[in-house]
Amino acid sequence: MRNYEIMFIVNPNAAEEEIDKINAQLESIITSGGGKVEKIEKMGKRRLAYEVDKHREGHYVLFVTSANGDIVRECERRLRVMDAVIKYITVRTDEEGRRLEKIKSYRQKRAARRSKSAKAAPTQSIEEAMQ
Amino acid sequence: MKSARDKEKRPGGQKQYYRRKKVCKFCVERIDSINYKDVKLLSQFVPERAKIMPRRISGVCSQHQRQLNDAIKKARNIALLPFATE
Repeated sequence: MRNYEIMFIVNPNAAEEEIDKINAQLESIITSGGGKVEKIEKMGKRRLAYEVDKHREGHYVLFVTSANGDIVRECERRLRVMDAVIKYITVRTDEEGRRLEKIKSYRQKRAARRSKSAKAAPTQSIEEAMQ
Repeated sequence: MKSARDKEKRPGGQKQYYRRKKVCKFCVERIDSINYKDVKLLSQFVPERAKIMPRRISGVCSQHQRQLNDAIKKARNIALLPFATE
């Protein structure tokens, strides 16, 4: 299982229910394939940086999932077929996530080491004061 | 980000330019992940023509410039950033 982010843009004229319907469809594809949907984020209506199919705005939706390649391929196929979806992108995020975790653990270790050496003197004095 | 140039006269009469050392924004501020969704951050590195700012101007280190490149290109793909402005 890998982590993916699927982001897509829905036609600005689409109703809220239509977006929900697309979301439900995608969710069912992912869960039925054995994947997991971690987050569905409707980022709302945004201005597009350039014109896409004569549209200047669009509803952005973000899916954060853990799935495998087949599921993602199926999702992309569905998104391509849907008329309301004007653009989509899939980004794999597990490698990036692992990298970030490594940095974080390294920082924590370093901070712990530093605080230990820094703490050694003051804690002693506090103990002495209490005695 | 333009470097501050200080004119200074040497005893020989030649002008000497002092250039401020540029530093990588991501290293200094400890920004680990350069995400394609973070338009506010990315747009600092795309001037008005929407081209990616070269390293020699922004001072970003090579590792972060590479990540920045990828992020900007992803953002362009999903219309968060423009490919070019007229």
